[in-house]
Amino acid sequence: MRMLNFAKRNFKELIRDPLSLVFEIVLPLFLLFIFKQINIPGDTYKLENFTPGIIIFGFSFITLFTATLIAKDRSSSLLIRLGTSPMKSSDYILGYILSLMPIIIIQDILFFVVAILLGLSFSVNIVYTILISLIISILFIGLGILIGSLVSEKATGGIGSIIVQLVCFTSGMYFSKDLIGKGFAKVCEFLPFESSLNIIKGILNNNFDIISTRNIVVFSIYTVLVLIISVIVFKKKMVSDNKN
Amino acid sequence: MNAIEVNKLTKKYKDKIAVNGIDLQIKQGELFALLGTNGAGKTTTIKMLSGLILPTSGDIMINKMDMKKDTFKIKEILNVSPQETAIAPNLTVKENLEFMAGVYQIENKNKKIDELIKLFKLEEVINKKTKTLSGGWQRKVSIAASLINDPKILFLDEPTLGLDVIARKELWKVIEGLKGKITIILTTHYMEEAESLSDRIGIMVNGNLVDIGTSKELIKKTKAKNFEDAFVNIATGGEL
Repeated sequence: MRMLNFAKRNFKELIRDPLSLVFEIVLPLFLLFIFKQINIPGDTYKLENFTPGIIIFGFSFITLFTATLIAKDRSSSLLIRLGTSPMKSSDYILGYILSLMPIIIIQDILFFVVAILLGLSFSVNIVYTILISLIISILFIGLGILIGSLVSEKATGGIGSIIVQLVCFTSGMYFSKDLIGKGFAKVCEFLPFESSLNIIKGILNNNFDIISTRNIVVFSIYTVLVLIISVIVFKKKMVSDNKN
Repeated sequence: MNAIEVNKLTKKYKDKIAVNGIDLQIKQGELFALLGTNGAGKTTTIKMLSGLILPTSGDIMINKMDMKKDTFKIKEILNVSPQETAIAPNLTVKENLEFMAGVYQIENKNKKIDELIKLFKLEEVINKKTKTLSGGWQRKVSIAASLINDPKILFLDEPTLGLDVIARKELWKVIEGLKGKITIILTTHYMEEAESLSDRIGIMVNGNLVDIGTSKELIKKTKAKNFEDAFVNIATGGEL
């Protein structure tokens, strides 16, 4: 199982980078705690709505650190070595995706433990939310593979930050999209982050009415497209990185 | 029997010809050094022979298998130590070797890893993360990892680049120990390395393989005092 072997290695690389753990886990937990203390009025900051926002926010850092790992692998010649081995493209892509799943589960469990300690009621929907979030995370991991395949290790920080900002401003985790205006609301509707958040929110709160068909279609199209494009770009870059 | 047979191997990038129709046969167990100035096409040739990039045209036969048809079978029996150290930085030396053993699905991986630890004298750094090691140690680990699958063909791309003289001599000793057992294709900028280690030497200039022979044959042919002069003579077409 070359794919699992590769996933194991990727997991170790990611978990041993203290900075990635701080951003993927500690920072979202801090935000969850601090926003609860401030007690901002409105539905957005209620734990049942803000915890899904924190999950998506944590995923944006998964994108950033996936991109960094891949860009680092490309620059360190490790992918040259692996390119001459019998590993197939599917081993690489699934190896990267699988390696992040334990981190997603750890993130989710910690976010929910803290949310429960802060007052979120426990329900079986939390388990369903964790399971659905694993599917949602594939979009964010795919974005990371795409960015890491396209740009250098240095540039992943900048591009990854754009994704973090896009998640913050267009997902609706901090404020409703309608507050800014119609044009901005349309942009949010056509980006996948609001849809991702609504799906998680709907599952957690057992309120399927807030998950629109558009949410499911937008999320599915983005996820499939990002995965297909990331596989194509990754394969192409493995060859073009080796031109010299 | 030839381990490698190359026929009119060519690699073009838009209007640049990186490798220009080279023909080459390397015998089983031979240590063949590929020399050339920067940009001569050595690394591109190695990348094509190891299946990393596709040739624009030409044929590559490895142990009688066609690179175009039997790529994955060929990849099982070869290994490469790239120019830059190719190891996972946050993994320990042992974890790196275990990871590479997993890539090649090695059955008795612990036995093989112990063998490599002994061969490269890695005992004192075995549990250290590779990113904390010096360049010399990292290079040793990188080369050790390239032997994990007992390759029949091993490509060493500038294996001693940046190493101090002692580390280089240590590595030469290891490479000498592998001679005859594995077919080795080595690229290097160090003339004494090519001269002392290799059975035959090929010299590449601007994508062409301009001369092949033992170091003695090349010295004799160019009427040079030593191998370095012979190389300069061939690489510059006698201008220097």
